[in-house]
Amino acid sequence: MAMTLTNELPPEAPVVAPDVTLTSLSEEVSNRVLMERAPRWWGVGFGISFALLMVLIIQLAWLFINGIGVWGVEIPVAWGFAIAEYVWWIALASGGTIVSALFFLTRSPWRSATNRIAESMLLSAAPCAGLMPIMHLGRPGLFYWLFPYSNVMGVWPQMRSPLLWDFVCLLCYILMSTMYYYAGILPDLATVRDLAKTRSKQILYGILALGWRGSVAEWRNQRVVYAIMSAIMAPMVISVHSVVGLDYAGGLTPGWHDTQFPPYFFFGAVISGTAVIIMLTILVRWGYSLQKVLTEYHFNAMAKVMLVGSLMLCYAYVWEAFGPLYGSDVADKTESYQRMFGFTAPLFWSEKILTVVVPQLLWFPLVRRSQLLLFLISGGIIVGMWQERFMFTTASLEHNYMPSYWGHFYPTLWDWAALAGTIGLFLTMFFLFLRFAPIISLAEVREIIEQEKPK
Amino acid sequence: MKDLFGIIAVFRTPDEVTSAAMRLRQSGYRAFEAYTPYAVEGLDRIVDSGSKAFLPLLMFAGAVLGAALAYWIQYWDEAVNYPLNVGGRPYNSWPAFAVSTFEFMLLASVTAGFVGMLAASGLPKLYHPIFEAHAFERASRDRFVICIEATDPRFNADSIHALFEQLGAERIEEVRA
Repeated sequence: MAMTLTNELPPEAPVVAPDVTLTSLSEEVSNRVLMERAPRWWGVGFGISFALLMVLIIQLAWLFINGIGVWGVEIPVAWGFAIAEYVWWIALASGGTIVSALFFLTRSPWRSATNRIAESMLLSAAPCAGLMPIMHLGRPGLFYWLFPYSNVMGVWPQMRSPLLWDFVCLLCYILMSTMYYYAGILPDLATVRDLAKTRSKQILYGILALGWRGSVAEWRNQRVVYAIMSAIMAPMVISVHSVVGLDYAGGLTPGWHDTQFPPYFFFGAVISGTAVIIMLTILVRWGYSLQKVLTEYHFNAMAKVMLVGSLMLCYAYVWEAFGPLYGSDVADKTESYQRMFGFTAPLFWSEKILTVVVPQLLWFPLVRRSQLLLFLISGGIIVGMWQERFMFTTASLEHNYMPSYWGHFYPTLWDWAALAGTIGLFLTMFFLFLRFAPIISLAEVREIIEQEKPK
Repeated sequence: MKDLFGIIAVFRTPDEVTSAAMRLRQSGYRAFEAYTPYAVEGLDRIVDSGSKAFLPLLMFAGAVLGAALAYWIQYWDEAVNYPLNVGGRPYNSWPAFAVSTFEFMLLASVTAGFVGMLAASGLPKLYHPIFEAHAFERASRDRFVICIEATDPRFNADSIHALFEQLGAERIEEVRA
């Protein structure tokens, strides 16, 4: 046992199983898209997701009719689930871009088979993130006032506010991610088009593939633009999540007013994004029987990224505790103490265990390759990061400068409905991506296959 | 009988298609194109595929214009059209405008790249004569295809057939469209 626990994956371990050929790869992945009937697990998963999506619709209707009083947000804790979950969702989405863009730039071979999963995940998570602040607006129908557009009122948005930066960031991020995804999937859609048997699918994927032929010029243009896009997306995603951190850092509330917030948020994105990608990769690998394409190599690599994320997060936690201790601000000290030992103590400590202590198991190579353990650790991290986002959003407001102004946040059923509903939206979109778009980047895995071929 | 668009040869490996393309170029053919399931290293140096620097420059131009537009909107809004004194800060408070300028710069650059990539490749183009070839279907999967087009001044069906056979083509087909 001790031997296997510490046995590192050999350096010559294949990224993709040696018996995968160009032919089998294209046909297997495309057949998942083209099959007439979806597999049962897909139907069950999609059904549950769709039911949760209906929860979101009902929640939205109730919220828009009655206003945000249906939630637990109150004075003093005016930022509740919606804002915390906004950060949570955008962190999950950002993790997708980090895996996809950052590791494209480092030419990491494991990224080729997982990047489409990561990007589908991010495109499913980003709308959930975008929905949260809109739900949180008292008058959600007026969200378009954030656009700088010429209007009869003569009113313009305040460009100096981090909240407006955040809006610009999220909007740009979603648009750029969509183009990045499409630039990458274009050749794969052509593969699906050429394999489609029925007329309707030939037409559908024919249109989606935009007439891609795979000519030399097309490939060269695609590779050049994709590489530059990756180089743009990597700093972009860091800036997006940092600006989310500035929403907090720009506030004067004790516990928020801290220069470490932008990188701290980014660290959270690395760990939680990788965790959700690992969970979805396990699902895809099992559901679509892609064991030969998504190998131990991928899980080993992603687990290492998650471990690094956990260590970076740990560093941020230490600094978060050290700052108030070293400083002289009584409010900061009090808030920090209350967070650790007060009302939110159970959340605080269980979250530290889930996101920092348990992930240390990933030092063991065996754990990095065990899908069950990875699934559990990743699930724990995602729950832990949710607790973390929730805690620092509410705990700071609960213990503001004036003790007479203290209070607690208690979520209502509608708060939980918003959480469940956005999870439903996320899963529904992801299941649709699974069904209708090739979930493995065929063009890039083909290159891996060619490189691995014995010369 | 439809017009002859060209003759295609299907190869099994990237090495074969690269050496075939090299041979065609050396033999003086110009109007030929290779279709491959992934970007084969070195093919773009053999097959004429247009200017290399165009798309990066386009993306750079997009970035510069995007940044200028974003800054100008913010400056015009905050300093000219709707000046609002916030804590005595200057109306043209560039550090606060930097974030949106940065994001919009990147958005403009990526958009320029995306649109430019499609335009430079002549996409979207839902029909192309090469789609008429039965053997072409596998070029998006596991085969490497070369097509010599009938517009080539040296085009001669018989000698091309012979050349392709000599190069070890798996399959040779005339494309009519």
